Amino acid sequence: MLFDLSVGNLIEPVSGRRWDQPEISGQVTRRIARFQKYGLAPKDRVFLAFGNRLEFFAELLAVWRLGGCAIPIDSRLTAFEVENLVRAAAPGLAVVDDETPADIIQTLSAAGVRVILTTDIDAHESSASFIHMDSDALILFTSGSTGDPKGVVHTHRSLRARWMSLRDHLGTAAFRKTLCMLPTHFGHGLICNSLFPWLSGQDLYITQPFRPDLVMRLGTLIDENGITFMSSVPAIWRLALKLARPPQLGTLQRVHCGSAPLSAHVWEDIRRWTGTKNVCNAYGITETGSWVAGLADADVPAEDGLIGQGWGAVIQVLHTNDTSRTLEPKDRCAPGQSGYVWLNTPAVMKGYFQRDDLTSQAVIDGWFMTGDIGVLDDQGRLVLRGRERDEINKGGMKVFPSDIDAVVERFDRTNDVCTFALDDLIYGQNVGIAVVLQDRSDATICALYAWMKSHLSESKMPMRWWIIDEIPRTSRGKINRDSVKAACQDLVPLDLPGILGRAAS
Amino acid sequence: MSEKRELQRQGFINFLRTIQKAGLPVESLSDSDKLVASGLVDSLAILQIVMYLENTYGINFSVIGFDPEQLGSIGNILDLIEREKP
Repeated sequence: MLFDLSVGNLIEPVSGRRWDQPEISGQVTRRIARFQKYGLAPKDRVFLAFGNRLEFFAELLAVWRLGGCAIPIDSRLTAFEVENLVRAAAPGLAVVDDETPADIIQTLSAAGVRVILTTDIDAHESSASFIHMDSDALILFTSGSTGDPKGVVHTHRSLRARWMSLRDHLGTAAFRKTLCMLPTHFGHGLICNSLFPWLSGQDLYITQPFRPDLVMRLGTLIDENGITFMSSVPAIWRLALKLARPPQLGTLQRVHCGSAPLSAHVWEDIRRWTGTKNVCNAYGITETGSWVAGLADADVPAEDGLIGQGWGAVIQVLHTNDTSRTLEPKDRCAPGQSGYVWLNTPAVMKGYFQRDDLTSQAVIDGWFMTGDIGVLDDQGRLVLRGRERDEINKGGMKVFPSDIDAVVERFDRTNDVCTFALDDLIYGQNVGIAVVLQDRSDATICALYAWMKSHLSESKMPMRWWIIDEIPRTSRGKINRDSVKAACQDLVPLDLPGILGRAAS
Repeated sequence: MSEKRELQRQGFINFLRTIQKAGLPVESLSDSDKLVASGLVDSLAILQIVMYLENTYGINFSVIGFDPEQLGSIGNILDLIEREKP
């Protein structure tokens, strides 16, 4: 249909809803008719403010067929964050579902965006075919929801390059019944876990994301639906390995884990639990269309950080992370020598949405500087050693400290702030924050908490707080988040629940 | 409530304070209130509760099986402790 001649079936295994190909075709063409009624034209941008249900995929195809650009957004964003994204992306239309909060709909409407309920579709059908390969297809906002949004723009060409590469390296047989439990506003969940199999004609089983109750019965879900492939993140696996009974029927043929570091120990545990050796640590970055490297045949001994070879990408480990000059052969690290990971792939993004400044800091001559540190071993396999990106990897979802700092700085009684990553048993990392306030009264702390709650989505709210006298700085006056974290960990964190409880009583 | 159960309750409340989200005082919950639905803890925190019960009371979930409902509220968790470690 888009990538191949037909799409697969769409199934919600929890609700039992199922759309076969004729139904999907009708759902798409009725939405095309509805979008035409609303005047959607090629190059128009459309917010998809919901996800992980059958209708999401019909909306996406309808937008694409009309030549539009889809912008899936996290349904958990606050009204403040949505307003900020609207200001940046200027969508003409937004599609919501029956669970979209009223304040989000109000914010969209107040900003002049026409809001459509996904189930509000025309009775008649219409067709359209305005897809141009180099038109913008997808924008995924990865950070800056509270300040200057950073949106990764993929064209139809870059997306197809990613899917074609995956098909060449992995085939489609193992993806015959694919389960996606990851969010569809997330590159990993949308581009690779969902769209690659589905647009290749394989069946897609979609659930709501990060639902522990589903993870706890993952083995049953796999058996009942004969799932052959799934991808997830280490935090979800930690939960499944501990609390879910393993699948019994041996249907899984391939399993991916990505978006956060995977230890050899957890890797082997996943193999035991799933009953397949073909468990792969898939390396993906939204800017390269997600999965860009891994092991095609993953039946090798697990190693901390082992990724594998590029899937439609040339991987180089270089001494430099400088994107202001042309790369040269002398920049290359020797095998086994640690350096910056760079990727060259036709699936690289077009750029960051209306942020050429950021694009030029990340891409030079088609080479994308990942911000990851790694080595190429003597077999040419990539092994990750760490990250230099300023982000908190909370169970695979990236939280950017600067997004939180930007909100706290705007609180009228903040003198200084630093957000940093905390080690977390469940998520791998969680959010910690050190704040210097004009006063430490309960009233000020409660007011700051209320301010943050109204501006930050739940996933960005800090887990631990420290109110301190001064944020430590380097001799050059800069903040080193690791140093602030180290300083805070010698101090007692704020008893925020106690303060809020006293204020409420 | 027996003295033993009260001690177990207090121990569990102290643990909850270390993993709870900020917005809701744990004291405001009754024993039958749902821990996740009330917003006190993140849904993934259930794993931390499991580890607390394993480490503190030696309850082995791989032996007794796992039922999310057993860990849904403070009361259910105290019942589980009483059942498994009378």
